[in-house]
Amino acid sequence: MGSGRGRGFFSPRRLCAIAAGVVISGLAGAACGQDQPTGPAAANGGAGPSRVEDLRDLSIDQLAQIQVTSVAKSPEPLSDAPAAIYVITHDDIIRSGAISLPEILRLAPNLDVVQTSASSYIITARGFSGDATAQNFTNKLLVLIDGRSVYTPLYSGVYWDVQDVPPEDIERIEVISGPGATLWGANAVNGVINIITRPSSQTQGGLIDVAGGSLGTSVGVQYGGRIGDDLSYRVYAKSFTEYHTVTASGARADDAWSKPQGGFRLDWTPTAVDSVTFQGDAYSGEEAQAGEPDQYISGGDIETRWTHAWQDGSSLQVQAYYDQTDRGTPEGNGHFTLDTYDLDVQDSFAPDARNELVFGGGLRFSRYSIAGAAALLFAPPSRWLDLSNAFVQDTFSVTPTLKLIAGLKLEDDPYSGLSVLPDLRLSWKPIDQALLWAAVSRAIRSPTPFDRDVVEKIGPIVYLIGGPDFQPETLTAYESGARVQVTPRLSFSISGYYNAYDDLKTIEPAPSGFIPLRWGNMMRGDTYGFEAWGEYRVTPWWRLVASFDDLEKRLSFKPGASGLLGVAQAGDDPEHQASLKSSMDLPHNITLDADLRYVSALPDPALPAYVELNSRIGWNINDHVQLSLSGFNLLHAHHLEFPASEANAVPRSVLAELRLRF
Amino acid sequence: MTWTGVVRVAATGLVLFGLVRFGLTSSARAQESLATDIKAAYLYKFAPFVVWPGPPPAADAPFAVCVVGADPFGSVLDRAVAGQKVGARPIIVRRLAAAARDMPCQIAFLAGGRGQGVKDELAALHGAPVLTVTDGGAAAGVVDFAIAQGRVRFRIDDETAAEDGLTISSKLLSLAVSVRPRKTSGATP
Repeated sequence: MGSGRGRGFFSPRRLCAIAAGVVISGLAGAACGQDQPTGPAAANGGAGPSRVEDLRDLSIDQLAQIQVTSVAKSPEPLSDAPAAIYVITHDDIIRSGAISLPEILRLAPNLDVVQTSASSYIITARGFSGDATAQNFTNKLLVLIDGRSVYTPLYSGVYWDVQDVPPEDIERIEVISGPGATLWGANAVNGVINIITRPSSQTQGGLIDVAGGSLGTSVGVQYGGRIGDDLSYRVYAKSFTEYHTVTASGARADDAWSKPQGGFRLDWTPTAVDSVTFQGDAYSGEEAQAGEPDQYISGGDIETRWTHAWQDGSSLQVQAYYDQTDRGTPEGNGHFTLDTYDLDVQDSFAPDARNELVFGGGLRFSRYSIAGAAALLFAPPSRWLDLSNAFVQDTFSVTPTLKLIAGLKLEDDPYSGLSVLPDLRLSWKPIDQALLWAAVSRAIRSPTPFDRDVVEKIGPIVYLIGGPDFQPETLTAYESGARVQVTPRLSFSISGYYNAYDDLKTIEPAPSGFIPLRWGNMMRGDTYGFEAWGEYRVTPWWRLVASFDDLEKRLSFKPGASGLLGVAQAGDDPEHQASLKSSMDLPHNITLDADLRYVSALPDPALPAYVELNSRIGWNINDHVQLSLSGFNLLHAHHLEFPASEANAVPRSVLAELRLRF
Repeated sequence: MTWTGVVRVAATGLVLFGLVRFGLTSSARAQESLATDIKAAYLYKFAPFVVWPGPPPAADAPFAVCVVGADPFGSVLDRAVAGQKVGARPIIVRRLAAAARDMPCQIAFLAGGRGQGVKDELAALHGAPVLTVTDGGAAAGVVDFAIAQGRVRFRIDDETAAEDGLTISSKLLSLAVSVRPRKTSGATP
């Protein structure tokens, strides 16, 4: 479902793959047929721009973006957050030339971004890419767009093809590797991606954005205005077509797709201490699938948020949203609809000089409705999933430089009931330029309809059912890190982790006999590694950012496990990733950016390491006209980012873009 | 989840809310220093987005950023402007006890002093070609700092700017969290 060349969730071939995999091949062989495969910021490196000498070098736009208090759950400067956090800034996004969210997320050194078809991606932090043929999905990452959760409760993964925000409107993306369950809730197991859009007051005026290149075309139109003193708005519409990728052998893969999308945002400040935001989006697209009918995707969301600043500087936020998404293929191959209603309340408060409390709660009601294919259905086919939570977190100043942060979330999910998700962090700032932190936390990946209610058949034979006893996958994480501003020009961040997982998803035989197979929790293990990145301002006009990740994984089956499909089904993850980015501001308003990345070999199924290069040259002719030329994956005609059994190859591409402001 | 689950969690939330929201006292935050640094850095960075009335000054005439009244910046402002220029003009910092129409300042941060409150300082400078900057109090200058969504931002009073003979570029207006537009035709926001 979330991966593998954009095929629909209900693709019969996918079923065959698993059926063959679990060695019911006598049945599967007949049904299967042919196999598939023919087919660059200041805030990141160190403790942040806390000294006025550093602020001096920033543009006025950059000054306006510095967090003095974090908008979201934590009331402290982002540079003081005791977690492995990387911030992709607006400027980084524009200068990367990337026009889709997954490609933008390649800028975060603490993520592994894998393209598997024109429209599908696998994105993970700290491993666990899953294995689509084993129906073990990429499901340990939480993704929020302006506080709206976009992972699907059906299987806890993210359909990246329906998540889109015009790059122009993204303020920043906070990428936290490591668990964030206490604040963000279940599924924030290995990381949280927090996409924050710009207030409409910052996107005033008109913008026409036209791009075209070897892999697709894109047109966007946007207008922002004001009504009176207190109300600003923007509306946008965009549409793109992405051409097909290629197969491992370089032949055309039938996976082209297109999607028009539109939306709006309205920001109202009725009083000096209140702000209200309304925003919404709608989209509808079509994706080609090799040898199958096109898949259609459509949906939309509407969201409102009220923020009130209390006299003491703390704030109350109330947020509600509705999100609807449809996906399917015609001709009886199945479709599903998901409606989500969500309400969140969050408040912060300082009871005395040494404590700062953040607390809140939320309710989410999702209704899914699935018309399954004959071979894959859900019992029941539709259902309400109710999720509720309450959390509190205290930041206690032990001394002026040492803080202890203790948090607790209680979450009640529809399948496993009440979960307790605690988190303990220590943050020490011995000097302004250095932050040292350590943390222990617990997170879970809660069961979904796919884990509990799925029924898969080959002909009349039910060969797999959701496990009635499937339990949450759990993580206890131990982390520590440092962020240091060595000199005003040089800063770095390093975060190490040891993750202990238990009850990871496996496939187990029926208690009596073999089929129907069912999901179990019979794998455990640990991962450890580190993520490091640093930034060096060679000159005021030249910035270098380098990064390196290390991930070691040791997984094993528990006694009594079937061992079916091996421990590799949990993920096919690279041990190392490295990148080097260069950003230059040249004379005549020309910018030149290059991003070299290395991803080490994948173990099982094996795939060689690759090195690729993206580059962009931009020319701001004047305030109204901007031209750019980008090249992506320039070093090879095409390269595989995931094994050919599950992915198409990514071709080299170029893209020219023109932005007109009026 | 069952409704008892909802009730259970909601009740927990309510208890937590009650515990912390009521019966406890509040205190100020220690985020002042970063916010103050950012405001200091902003002050001279407004300059390229503003056109002052009158003939163009000599290319190397000093550009004066003034603090009127109780200086909240201390050495931070001097460090912020050290080595910086507005075009080719060197920036100097002046500290003044009170505001006067003819004071030699292009940008003035009005902090209020013992003799003159911010409101009096603003009144003294009304119509003078000085970009007045205030810090979110009851009386607002042409630029008024505000904390919005966790960031140091500002509101702009373009009408008063027009009365003072100043032209503010649309770029700066677009960065403002709110703008009081000028009533006269001319520059478009």
